[in-house]
Amino acid sequence: MKLPAEWLKEYCDINLTNEQIVTQLTMAGIECQLINKTGEIFDISLTPNRADCYSVLGVSRELAALNNTKFKSNQNTQTTIDHSDEIEIKIESPKDCPVLMTRIINNIDVNTTTPAIITNRLNSSGIQSVNIIVDVTNYVMLETGQPLHAYDLNAIDSKLIVRRGYDKENITLLDGSIKTIDQNYLLISDVVKPLGIAGIMGGEDSGIQTDTKHIVLESAYFNNEIIMGKPRMLNLHTESGLRFERGVDPSIQKYAIERTSALINEFSGGKNGPITNITSTSEIPERLPILLRKKRIQQILGITIPNNKVKEILTKLNMKIKEQDFGYSGWIVTPPPFRFDINQECDLIEELARLNGYDNIKERNEQGKIKLKKTSKRSNKINHINNLMLRLGYSEVINYSFISPSMSILLGKHIRTIDITNPLSIDMSIMRASLLPGLLNNLSHNLKRQHRTIKLFESGKVFKNINKTNQETEMLAGIGYGLRMDEQWITKLETINFYDIKGDLEHFFSSLKINTIIQYNQSTHPMLFPGRTAAINLDGKTIGYIGELSPELCMDLELSEQPILFEIDKEVLKLPKKVIHDKQTYFPSSRRDISIIINKEQEISEIIKVINTLNIKELKNIIIFDVYKGENLGIGRVSIALGLIFQNKSRTLTDEEIDTNMSKITKKILTTFNIKLRVE
Amino acid sequence: MTINLSDLLNDALNEIEECKTLNKIEEIRVKYLGKKGQITSQLKKLGSMEVDQKPSFGQKINNIKNQIEAKVRTKKIELKKTSIARNIATRSIDITLPGRKTLSGSIHPITTTLSDIENIFLNAGFLVEDGPEIEDEHHNFTALNIPEYHPARAMHDTFYFDNNLLLRTHTSPIQIRSMEKQGVPIKIIAPGKVFRRDSDLTHIPMFHQIEGLVIDQGINFTHLKGILHEFIDCFFEQQMELRFRPSYFPFTEPSAEVDILSEDGKWLEILGCGMVHPKVLDLLELDSEKYTGYAFGMGVERLAMLKHEIRDIRLFYDNDLNFLKQLK
Repeated sequence: MKLPAEWLKEYCDINLTNEQIVTQLTMAGIECQLINKTGEIFDISLTPNRADCYSVLGVSRELAALNNTKFKSNQNTQTTIDHSDEIEIKIESPKDCPVLMTRIINNIDVNTTTPAIITNRLNSSGIQSVNIIVDVTNYVMLETGQPLHAYDLNAIDSKLIVRRGYDKENITLLDGSIKTIDQNYLLISDVVKPLGIAGIMGGEDSGIQTDTKHIVLESAYFNNEIIMGKPRMLNLHTESGLRFERGVDPSIQKYAIERTSALINEFSGGKNGPITNITSTSEIPERLPILLRKKRIQQILGITIPNNKVKEILTKLNMKIKEQDFGYSGWIVTPPPFRFDINQECDLIEELARLNGYDNIKERNEQGKIKLKKTSKRSNKINHINNLMLRLGYSEVINYSFISPSMSILLGKHIRTIDITNPLSIDMSIMRASLLPGLLNNLSHNLKRQHRTIKLFESGKVFKNINKTNQETEMLAGIGYGLRMDEQWITKLETINFYDIKGDLEHFFSSLKINTIIQYNQSTHPMLFPGRTAAINLDGKTIGYIGELSPELCMDLELSEQPILFEIDKEVLKLPKKVIHDKQTYFPSSRRDISIIINKEQEISEIIKVINTLNIKELKNIIIFDVYKGENLGIGRVSIALGLIFQNKSRTLTDEEIDTNMSKITKKILTTFNIKLRVE
Repeated sequence: MTINLSDLLNDALNEIEECKTLNKIEEIRVKYLGKKGQITSQLKKLGSMEVDQKPSFGQKINNIKNQIEAKVRTKKIELKKTSIARNIATRSIDITLPGRKTLSGSIHPITTTLSDIENIFLNAGFLVEDGPEIEDEHHNFTALNIPEYHPARAMHDTFYFDNNLLLRTHTSPIQIRSMEKQGVPIKIIAPGKVFRRDSDLTHIPMFHQIEGLVIDQGINFTHLKGILHEFIDCFFEQQMELRFRPSYFPFTEPSAEVDILSEDGKWLEILGCGMVHPKVLDLLELDSEKYTGYAFGMGVERLAMLKHEIRDIRLFYDNDLNFLKQLK
């Protein structure tokens, strides 16, 4: 809300510069700044609870209270009554409209130019001048906080009816838009047609026209509950709706209609009818008395505010106070009708803190029981994983949790995604079911910026609908692309391949002490290269995938190399329990090498598995130190060189013992697999 | 056969003198002084000699042997020195060439900032809690004293799913879930992603928040002011001037915004906080007369921007390696 400074100062005697007023209001919870050009207009951002400040009077009243000066509002305006014409009113739901006042003003001159004082103030407040009648109603709204509406009397068929809307009722509004409403909306209508959505916007047909002669002014109090949320639903954020949904002072309608009539008479002439006043007193929300306890003030604020100070503050804020036990235990406080935000003791305590100044509350340390800090398992795990990825050369990215349908579909059609019903754009409409599409985006972005080595990772949630329930799973995903290392004189230019990234994962799993029980099985994944993709299994369960990007996607993204991607379920991973030192001492080890020739399709892991089934205690490790494909081996054949490490914990092994083990091993693999020993 | 011992000595000394390599000198030593060496075989003759010839021959041959040994020794030292000198002279490198770079990674500035904030509160005895990003109306709004159609909901432009589910607009629902789970007293921080249906130069539809909640007997506003001032000083690693000004959140009363004074004399909003509204506790059926507490919440992007002087919030989500590696 923008308000000219001179207008505000009209209602309170304060001797402050505009900058001082800005600070004072801001420190009282009414965020405020000066608009740059002139420094004469305040831009006030009100929190939703301070409906009472949506007007010049409201802000002045607050300033008067803050400065202990008099609030100069004269609400005794009275106009003449020139004739007895009234419009018939029917209020079908008094709960929604406890107060409705109308007045017919005949023979106005609608084409009078609005005086500069009004148009200037309206312009300063960001409201365009329309015609004298609309300008005056807007002006009085800014001044008093009471939204008013003016109808062309001739457009109203016999009477004004305040009623709920009908199901699928259409109404054309002043701005030309057509809205469909229902029984949750309150309407003003005549006997044949709706005239406006109560408290939000008038209808097109009944507005003031250039030939309007006779008008009906409406000054109403609509219960904020019937207006709340409606401006948003209709996407109609009007000045009127803004005020009614937060709460308008239910005692100000009379003054507002008199003030409006007086200004209309002054500038535009006209003959006033009497004010028709339909008030259902019992439906006006009552400000109930609240018990304010001294000890509760101390309990919440941690400071003591002297009794006279409490009384002074509450009085300044127009609250009625009755002492309870002469002020030893507290007070009974009744807030003024315009303070919709004061309903409970804590609301009063906030007012005390606010007016007493937040600066006057000390800073203290909690006198907590001293406890040794437990380390956070969650933070430890995040730190462990992040540090490891950092060491392996990955840069962390964070992507939006929603992606486009075209990226989402890369994961295959069988996945049930979770879709946002009101996305910002179609490109951000589907909750990601995988982190991989985001990483591909990041890859493209960085390739365009000439990066030649790209290793990225992301930790974050993915979302799937499984068996009709939404599931969120924390995943870890990575991508490697381009040069293994930045170009430099000392290193050959080599490209990241499957085994680089698999090696990273092995490091990763080793750090969690699960590398030896992780298994990689040839598998498929909608985004990955068949035959170059592995499912990562732990305890018989697939916890993730690693593979080359599929050839189709490589072509679509115009990539010259194949990125390697992985994604694993982070929730199943746990930090290792404390590590126990292996106290055994070992005697020197011996190594024997063998070369075998196998078919290309033969997985080496199978051969190693079979060797391990022999349960040779002394066999400590098997190193694969060469994989060779050469024409001399024959088509589809591969030579594998294995180094076998033998070691005993109590003595040095003899050559004979090792030879016996070696022949056991070679015999076993030769009989199990279709392989040959390679003789050098 | 007699050998002229002085010829033998001269031959040996000449050979040693002429020798150019350490390997060769060892060969020469073996040739004369080894088990089957020429001097050694002369020494062996001693046994079969007449007694009167023994002393003079022995003395002579030992003298020769010592001379050869000494010569070998000095020659070896000389050759070692030359060899080292030659090595040094020929093997110098260009130490100005750059060293071998391994690939170095980086952690996203938001993650780093989050963990900086978490560590400060962990040290103050807070526990870290998290919760789902897809929330229900109850935990995101109603339980926090934000009923349907409340104007405060307009401050939270919300992404919705079917069945009244939504993307959490703040991390406050974690506080509700934690209190449901463990009741009070409670002392937690809740970090995470939050979502608002908003996008322009200064707003992005997803960002990070970290909120704190302390509820116990005897907790009041002075404690809230105390902990937040300490936190802000710790985070910015210097004494900061700050102000608490009244504000409004449906779930706290009194509520405040905290501003810090920037170097150019401007107040910058940095976080929101307040005393937990008794209604929030009442809705959880916790005793709001006995227990009081405070809550606070801050935007992680905003704190990271202030700390690293980043002007554009959207940079965080471009994920450009130049940006990421610069701020690691």
